[in-house]
Amino acid sequence: MADGFAGMTLRINLSNGEIRKLPTDRKLMRDWYGGRGIVAKICYDEVPRDADPLGPDNVFIITSGILSGAFTPGGSKVEFGSVSPLTNGQGDSNMGGHLGPALKFAGFDLVIFSGISPKPVYICIDNDKVEIRDASKYWGMGSLDCEHLLKQDLGEDFEIATIGPSGERGILFSCISHDFGRQAGRTGQGAVMGSKKIKAIAVRGNKAIKVHNLEGLYKHTYDIIQRTKEHPNMEPWQKYGTSFFIRWSNDNAVMPTRNFQTTWYEDVEKIDGESLITKCLVTHKACFGCWMNCGKYSKAVIEGKKTVFAEGPEYETGALCGPNLGMHDINHVVYINYLLDNYGMDSMSGGGVMAFAMECFEKGLITEKDLEGHTMKWGSIDDVEHFLDMVVNRRGIGAWFAGGTRKAAEKIGKGSEKFAMQVKGQEMSGYDGRWAPGMLLSYMTSDIGAHHNRSWTITVDMAEGRETTEGRAKIVIYLQHIRPLFDTWCSCRLFWGELDITPEEYAEAVNLITGWDDSIDQALKVSEKIWNLNRCHYLERNKANGRTFDYPPARSWEDKIPNGPGKGKGVSLEQVETMLDDYYRERGWDKNGNPSRALLEDLGMGFAADNLEKAGFLGKPLEGGIPKVRGEKYKPKAF
Amino acid sequence: MVIYLKAGTQLREHLKPDVDYYTRKVETPEGMTLKQILESIGVNPGFVAFAYTEGKIKNLEYIPTEGEKITLQPPVSGG
Repeated sequence: MADGFAGMTLRINLSNGEIRKLPTDRKLMRDWYGGRGIVAKICYDEVPRDADPLGPDNVFIITSGILSGAFTPGGSKVEFGSVSPLTNGQGDSNMGGHLGPALKFAGFDLVIFSGISPKPVYICIDNDKVEIRDASKYWGMGSLDCEHLLKQDLGEDFEIATIGPSGERGILFSCISHDFGRQAGRTGQGAVMGSKKIKAIAVRGNKAIKVHNLEGLYKHTYDIIQRTKEHPNMEPWQKYGTSFFIRWSNDNAVMPTRNFQTTWYEDVEKIDGESLITKCLVTHKACFGCWMNCGKYSKAVIEGKKTVFAEGPEYETGALCGPNLGMHDINHVVYINYLLDNYGMDSMSGGGVMAFAMECFEKGLITEKDLEGHTMKWGSIDDVEHFLDMVVNRRGIGAWFAGGTRKAAEKIGKGSEKFAMQVKGQEMSGYDGRWAPGMLLSYMTSDIGAHHNRSWTITVDMAEGRETTEGRAKIVIYLQHIRPLFDTWCSCRLFWGELDITPEEYAEAVNLITGWDDSIDQALKVSEKIWNLNRCHYLERNKANGRTFDYPPARSWEDKIPNGPGKGKGVSLEQVETMLDDYYRERGWDKNGNPSRALLEDLGMGFAADNLEKAGFLGKPLEGGIPKVRGEKYKPKAF
Repeated sequence: MVIYLKAGTQLREHLKPDVDYYTRKVETPEGMTLKQILESIGVNPGFVAFAYTEGKIKNLEYIPTEGEKITLQPPVSGG
């Protein structure tokens, strides 16, 4: 069938070693588009509502999407998903590199793991040959070290994803690594992979993918390539990547600094993009089929410690492990990047957890005695090294932080919850939302906790007024539909965001590949459907009204920004409540944050309304009915 | 003197290019910083992350020279 799908799905029961190869369910793919959509539907259908995310009843899913491997710009992503141990809701995370295309070229659209292996294993997919192999040799190794060894053992042409000791030991913010520097970082997918005792996945494939209209796809992609070659943003992107936005973020008072205590870092020039490129850059790196090569491979040399290599830091790691930890040396930030990557920890949550620990130490809530005679001071690379060693080994209070900032704050108490900078258990991305209310609302309402990938509104906030919340909800909702669409298609969205490739052009590529005839509006509807399915799933699992979970930590409204360009700025609790009220109304949810039947049926999800009603959390009918269209594309009137 | 400013994405719409799809010709007194030039033509400097000219990054305190072609890079669309 020439529709862009590889054609086969793998179901692997790790408890009994059964491997089943099944034809890919085309209807499921049509209804939910693949990628994040498939993850959402399978988690909703197959994981019992009371299942332990680290137990045998959780699924662990790997999937490439329609655009991955299809030689469209940025078509490189692979999506991982399961019920997240960090948020206790549907969780997903993706990464670039080459694994998604390799999976497709091997003949598989989707791999679904169930159960738990009795011993450490790795999965080897070599075209049609699929094996569960003993991983005792590799268990305990760092992510990056393990990939090196597996490449030696299997061959350089295998694409490999690994977890580190962090995932093996169930640290809830564990990530999955690939290509020596790409990570599926968020929502603890590495912990789920580790709970199933999967150390690595190795894939080699050399089959063709049959698409519906090859000639049309070729012309479509060729035109895009020519335009992006001329685009003014291409060359700076190729040369500098995202690290160069550190200075902008600081100048505009959204830089998380010392655990989001403030939004401007006085030593930013010591750890910014210029420092990275001039002091640490080794080479540029690109994902499959991409010529932006935004990846920056770096070398860090630190006196008294080993010389290390890492991909990064990109903006998020640079911000959250730089100013957020009070670091003064770019080599130290690269070194922290390396430690987190090799341990197999999400560098974003890792930065948040370390910053939280530093503030707890500053306030005397944890002491040198708790830290085995060490301190946890701002800017100390030695303290970071020792602290991470405690966490990855779950030693002493390291075990408290292994669950992320929310669980650590529950253990520490004494008001620390106020500055555990997370929502729904997931730590914030590298932007402070106190002077960017749309960004704060984005964090509050993201289905996977405080992650900017779902919605990013800093420039909207700057254009529309940083101290007003008016109109922000509709824009956040639109962004929460368009941005995750790329995770559904398994494509990098940077060509859209940075190089003016329109969503309509992506939708056209999907149609050329599959033979479908979906407009971008239809695609956005699928994305909205996925969003609401995840919301329903979350409420059923967490057994409370949605509003319960949608608040940011109290620092967000209690602490005004103390210094820098944003001094004195901040939102009020009243504004937080107003933003939630606006958001729910625009979503077709009731005041408790619960989806209404009218909305779910409008999306063709009466089944979800029935289940939510049985669970006791179906939203009440909205006075005046649900909005006909949810979300509104931002039209900049000022920029 | 004359300089040429280039921008893509939403910044392009605000720059109002008049030379080609991305480029606007700007006549400006010598000695002005890029930030001052942007303000003089109604572009909010806050929406420019950095400038890029002759293969190098410049901040908005940079003073352009006659005939220079400068790309204005908007902030990354999040992460």
